[in-house]
Amino acid sequence: MKIPTAMDDNSVSHHNGGQVGSQIGVSVNNKQNEEPSQSVQYSIPGILHFIQHEWARFELERSQWEVDKAEFEARIAFLQGERKGQENLKNDLVRRIKMLEYALKQERAKFHKLKYGVELQQGDVRPPPEESATEPEPVERTQWKQGRQFIKQYLQEIGYTDTILDVRSNRVRALLGLKNEDSDNSNYRNYEKQQHDRCDYSANHMVRKYDYGKEPRKTSGSSGGGYNDEGMSVQETAAVFANFEFLTNQEMDMDEIDDLDAKQTLHASGEEVDHEAEEVLNELNMLTINEVVSAGQGDEYQGGVTSGGSASASAASSSVGSGSGAGEADEETLGLGELAQLTVSNEPEAYDVAGANKESFRKTWNAKYTLRSHFDGVRAIAFHPTEAALVTASEDHTLKLWNLQRTVPAKRSAGLDVEPLYTFRAHSAPVLCLAMGAPRSEECFSGGLDGTIRVWNLPPPTADPYDPYDPAVQGAVLREHTDAVWSLASACGRLASASADGTVRLWAPRAPRPLLATLRPDDGPPPAAGPALAPSPAPAALDFADAASRAAVAYRDGSLLLYDLETGQAVLRLGCDSPANRVRSHPTLPMLVTAHEDRHIRFWDAVSGQCSHAMVAHLDAVTGLALDPNGLFLLSGSHDCSVRLWNLDTKTCVQEITAHRKKFDESILDVAFHPLRPYIASAGADGLAKVFV
Amino acid sequence: MTDGVQILRRNRPGTKAKDFCRWPDEPFEEMDSTLAVQQFIQQTIRRDPSNLEAILKMPEVLDEGVWKYEHLRQFCMELNGLAVRLQNECKPETCTQMTATEQWIFLCAAHKTPKECPAIDYTRHTLDGAACLLNSNKYFPSRVNIKDSSIAKLGSVCRRVYRIFSHAYFHHRSIYDALERETHLCKRFTYLVTKYPIIPQEILILPKLDDEVPAGESEA
Repeated sequence: MKIPTAMDDNSVSHHNGGQVGSQIGVSVNNKQNEEPSQSVQYSIPGILHFIQHEWARFELERSQWEVDKAEFEARIAFLQGERKGQENLKNDLVRRIKMLEYALKQERAKFHKLKYGVELQQGDVRPPPEESATEPEPVERTQWKQGRQFIKQYLQEIGYTDTILDVRSNRVRALLGLKNEDSDNSNYRNYEKQQHDRCDYSANHMVRKYDYGKEPRKTSGSSGGGYNDEGMSVQETAAVFANFEFLTNQEMDMDEIDDLDAKQTLHASGEEVDHEAEEVLNELNMLTINEVVSAGQGDEYQGGVTSGGSASASAASSSVGSGSGAGEADEETLGLGELAQLTVSNEPEAYDVAGANKESFRKTWNAKYTLRSHFDGVRAIAFHPTEAALVTASEDHTLKLWNLQRTVPAKRSAGLDVEPLYTFRAHSAPVLCLAMGAPRSEECFSGGLDGTIRVWNLPPPTADPYDPYDPAVQGAVLREHTDAVWSLASACGRLASASADGTVRLWAPRAPRPLLATLRPDDGPPPAAGPALAPSPAPAALDFADAASRAAVAYRDGSLLLYDLETGQAVLRLGCDSPANRVRSHPTLPMLVTAHEDRHIRFWDAVSGQCSHAMVAHLDAVTGLALDPNGLFLLSGSHDCSVRLWNLDTKTCVQEITAHRKKFDESILDVAFHPLRPYIASAGADGLAKVFV
Repeated sequence: MTDGVQILRRNRPGTKAKDFCRWPDEPFEEMDSTLAVQQFIQQTIRRDPSNLEAILKMPEVLDEGVWKYEHLRQFCMELNGLAVRLQNECKPETCTQMTATEQWIFLCAAHKTPKECPAIDYTRHTLDGAACLLNSNKYFPSRVNIKDSSIAKLGSVCRRVYRIFSHAYFHHRSIYDALERETHLCKRFTYLVTKYPIIPQEILILPKLDDEVPAGESEA
């Protein structure tokens, strides 16, 4: 059989040279002795030539193999990365499915409950377990982002720039079906065609030019070259151009690349990816169409992506657009946070917040802060809409503003004492109720036994308690009530007050003529049955309902009226025998909750007027009610010195906290939730307010 | 709301102002809450604000320190009324310093280094500082048992509080008189600090208005 070509060459060269003994090792097996006619005429030059030739060929082959090997290694790395990405993607999708399922179950339960007034038995309605936080807390998130920054830097060092990441994230989005795939794909394809030849050429050039000793560069370069066939041409082009930074010292054949290279700067780690992507993409664009896309923020790319705009640009911009938009381009990588955000951004915020709140509510609440400064019982308590601050109103005629971040070291290590930030003095009688104004208005309202309602402008949480007196803190005084004001509610810039003089009044506190309407129970529909109402029973509590278009007012005789605030007429009359102390309206459902002297908490349907549920909640009269902003939990306080947390779906008590001591027969007078943060507070007749986390 | 057998002393939401805290008195011996002393004092005051003897008569079983403490709390609470009225009249431009007579200028101790606050600031800061001190867990951890080391604090609070009275008397006489007619606050205060010596008598510079006060008086 013919021995491989080496031997043939041998035989050929044998003609030229004389016989050399060393070659016999090679030609031991040769059967070419049958060609004696071509009698060996070895000559030294010929042999040398042959050896050189062979060596060159070997070298060539070795380099070829090494290139192949590097290529395969890169390929393996890429595939592994891809597989990992797919894994994460799959996990996220599964999680999303679970979340959706859970939400669906909840919705079904709510629907069923509302429709039939009973609970739907559907087994285990648990929120999906949280293996890794979908909504990481701010501290974790910053660490996580830092980690990402580091990884980004490393990737950049080995040539894996953000454009590649962009492209990948774009692929992910394409998989998720969250982007407009068609336009992008067509962009891809056009781009492909245009770039294909050039990239081939450039890629191969890169390969040839590489310094063989430097593995990483080769990896990226060959990764660029190797994927030509994969259809990932955009990635490859990105990779190609990304490698320019490594080739600054090597000469370039292509003028275009020269151009690009000169323009491209090394990526600084702190630089926003948007800008980097923009630069690269600028150059890309210059190659294809000689358009210069504006080098503004990534957002502008969204508009500019028409034809020929690179898909990567749109990837960058869309990620910024769909993410939190804070310029954090970390969103572009295949991260859980990004995917969570991608999914969440298409849906109402409820699941997002619900997820976070579920986390915080699943634990038990512990007493953390004790607010001591009032001389007499604290009648009302309300949290600041955004900050960790709250206002308390007391029977010692004052209100106090507290900042929870200013604590005083207390004797007992478990709790922190808080000293007030500001004392509001203007009432001449016990202050009975309190309402916070709209989030940005920094104002609050208080109503007192003296029949006045006062508007206060809150000092900033950074104020010093011993600052000079600022008369501007005191705002308007509304004096139209003739008797004690027991309840205040504030929504949408309007204020509603209920007073012992029998009226409920609606105000626009900042208007020149604040009083908008006066509502009396006599104006309402006559009672359906039963004895006639005693002359103007005093309202005990009120709350806005139905996005501040209605007000629910509970009266001392136990009746509950729902007024339409446009007409001033009562549209619905509900009632029971036991006097109510508090009424609250559910933030999302048409449901009212009332707390009664007979220890019950009752749930009413605001549409039909039926009492949908009544439960014995405490051992004594229930005095405080609060609903959490998502409408999932209920907090109730009672004169039996306990605060109870209830799950609204199951109407079961999930936690009981004992707090406050009794003064006369009163104990806990009010409870509150913080609208944003995980705080709950209780106000007691012993002059203390406690905050639980 | 009173039943036949059980009396619930509560102010339910919707109670009219005149019905506020209108329930039968509870004898001190039957009060079993930790806030019994405060309840008792408030109850007696509500009954008749001018009957100083009754208000200040201490039940036998009680510790004198606790009695003084609770009364001081009640004073600080009621002084809020004076502060509210002063807020409208006592402006930093008119009363730039806290003075009573021309002899002394009082420095506000609520700051890190005593500062010469205008009168209205002095009043507010003193009341706020008194609130913090009297409610602080460090000095007064319990309401039924006062530490001996904290009794001295009561004296300094009383001194400062008295200055508020004296400033109002000398500089805002009409407000002082109106308040005094209603609540007899200064008289009660003077009576308290003389009956249960908390501060030296020399400090009490305001003239007595009637002769009901039994203990020795001093006038500047």
